[in-house]
Amino acid sequence: MAVMRLALVTLVTIAIGLLTFGGYRLSRMHIIHPGRRKHVRRKRGDKQKPTHLLIVLGSGGHTAEMIAMLFRAITDPDPTKRLDWTNYTHRTWVVSSGDNISAQRAKTFEEKTVRFAEEVITGKTQNDKTRRGTYDICTVPRAREIHQPIHTAPISSLRCMKACYEVLTKRTVEEKDGETGTTTTKVDLPDLILCNGPATATILIFTTILLRLFDFGGADSRGKMRTVYVESWARVKKLSLSGTLLSRVVDRFLVQWPQLEKVNERLEYRGVLV
Amino acid sequence: MAPTSTKKTCFLTVGATASFLPLVSAALTTDFLAALSKHGYSDLIIQYGSVADGKEHFEQSMTETESQRKKSIVNVRGFALDPAGLGAYMREAKGISASKASREKLEEGVVISHAGSGTILDALRLNVPLIVVPNPTLLDNHQLELAEALAEQGYVVHGRLDALVDALEAAEKMRQRSREWPPINSGVHRVVNVGGLAGVMDEEMGFLD
Repeated sequence: MAVMRLALVTLVTIAIGLLTFGGYRLSRMHIIHPGRRKHVRRKRGDKQKPTHLLIVLGSGGHTAEMIAMLFRAITDPDPTKRLDWTNYTHRTWVVSSGDNISAQRAKTFEEKTVRFAEEVITGKTQNDKTRRGTYDICTVPRAREIHQPIHTAPISSLRCMKACYEVLTKRTVEEKDGETGTTTTKVDLPDLILCNGPATATILIFTTILLRLFDFGGADSRGKMRTVYVESWARVKKLSLSGTLLSRVVDRFLVQWPQLEKVNERLEYRGVLV
Repeated sequence: MAPTSTKKTCFLTVGATASFLPLVSAALTTDFLAALSKHGYSDLIIQYGSVADGKEHFEQSMTETESQRKKSIVNVRGFALDPAGLGAYMREAKGISASKASREKLEEGVVISHAGSGTILDALRLNVPLIVVPNPTLLDNHQLELAEALAEQGYVVHGRLDALVDALEAAEKMRQRSREWPPINSGVHRVVNVGGLAGVMDEEMGFLD
């Protein structure tokens, strides 16, 4: 834990340094202003436009919970509360290097679970390939490997940050197509980022803050890279370390136990999500 | 005593990551095995983990309880880890037959688990009675908080290492009034008509209709 803390403190220091440097961007300071309240985006989104959802799978229990809550959302018996996967024309799944289990779970979710849920709910099979959209799985190096010495943690965190930057700003996605080989699709910056910890997700979120602060590719002015963090269902009375660090940074912060809402005014309880 | 025709399974899991041998020991005691017999259990399956001395510990406990087990109708077996996951064992404890051809009569049993959130969630989804025993040696006590909070709401029985027999009694009673997972969240006034995760995602995307 101490190592992760050190790594994150380093990153926050760098972030603050860049903030000072980027003082001319004062108009965008609201992105990280700690006193800001949670707010619902008011601009009306167009469901017909291409949309890009980015999901971070944090490995182990984090991945299990993320998949569980997405499954619950796409299979909600109430259609008004159900998550429509086809609203997101491209999905980027971010996994840590070496975490093949998470990569496999993302693949299964995209290729089996979503279709299965659709069939069960609507009673018909969706064969329209274009409606299904596209997805890709991106790998970033771990912020810290197990047993990694403490003094190298800031370096590996920076390496992770660089990889996160590349994932967040990628403009093309290559898709392997059974017969025709590889097709390249253009994608815009992620509209929405969904994560539930731990370190890798934290670094990715801090990277979005920097990109939005400098309005990289219109990240802020075009309302891209909105972030949603979901605290683990296993956290009943206290936030996790990632949660504590991100609670005033993300756009929306969901908790799964009502008593956690008292921790600070930005935390929202919308029921159990897993 | 002739084996009963009905199969009732108790599945105990210690998880994959941390060592929790005291839970294995607590189940392999004369008292606990007698309690299983009393409640009509035919099988006890123990997942003891892949820690270095897990297998040795399990086998030693098995030898110690050999004479007791011979008199009992409870058939005990164990394994370290299953790469295919614990789903099949959980379903066996729930009383769901593995193959349709099997004519075996199955009765709902119980799952005894360490306080890992993934295992708890799997058992809750299957709606099988669950005894959660937090590992007292783990420094991070949020697992204890989770077990307490869920026990308070009547979803699980919060078990202790030194009182596993009591926990089994409580789980047998819980069977009659078990609560279904996931909770409908209807008690949350703001959730009505706004939705959980999908609602928040739609709000952020500006999908307002």
